[in-house]
Amino acid sequence: MIDPAWGPFLFDTSAESWLARTPLTAAQEWFRQYAERFPVHISVVTVMERTRGYALLWRRESGERRRQIEAARIAYLRTLGQVWPVDAAIAIVAGEIMAVVAQPPTPAKRSHKFTESRQERLTRWRFDAMIAATALVMQMPLVHNNAGDFEAIRSAVEIDPARFPGFGPLELVRCGGLL
Amino acid sequence: MPRKRRTTLTLPVDALGQAERIARARHVNLSVVVAEALASGLRIETARERSAQVVRDYQEAFRGFAAEEMMILDGIIPEMRKH
Repeated sequence: MIDPAWGPFLFDTSAESWLARTPLTAAQEWFRQYAERFPVHISVVTVMERTRGYALLWRRESGERRRQIEAARIAYLRTLGQVWPVDAAIAIVAGEIMAVVAQPPTPAKRSHKFTESRQERLTRWRFDAMIAATALVMQMPLVHNNAGDFEAIRSAVEIDPARFPGFGPLELVRCGGLL
Repeated sequence: MPRKRRTTLTLPVDALGQAERIARARHVNLSVVVAEALASGLRIETARERSAQVVRDYQEAFRGFAAEEMMILDGIIPEMRKH
């Protein structure tokens, strides 16, 4: 178990929502204890991804459902704690990550309802690189739910530490590993 | 200097005795020790209230969305569409 007092942690986009939606009592209690001690640290990239998501859902709905989505979006904006911008240092580290692991390490998402194009997959991968770079520069463990992508970044930083002077290693904590 | 007000409190004997011991050891009066302990307790209570509000807001932010909608909110897929 990861003691909430060991924070602060940086939360990846899907990790943030996992904590809010998990039915696990232990995870809910972990989040409550964490929030007593620290604000929820996220990247500005997460705010952008999330806001885009609410906007997309809002645009395809109408009436009461649209009102519910807007209420959820406003509730989300109220939660914002520490939002880290992509500054020069983070941009440099993110660029190095994108160069070392130029292609997404996991395939595009596909299901019977949707398909992710190569360009969309690449964009999502680059957003993940920015979030990982934020964790590296701010020296915070990254809580995530996306082992395929973030483990590839961690390995890349370990293999080529000279390109990330003073920034490694990337500490990763899977959501399930918090408990 | 914060404003002060005299009051009368009924406190547990053990806690009061401990506070008096601390006050003697630090060469301050009992009010200083009690005020510090009160401030510390209030910080914890404020943190609890803030935490509860953050958790409530998060739950409200993600309540009522289907799994596919969550994938959009998490930026995993850009939108639903046909193949």
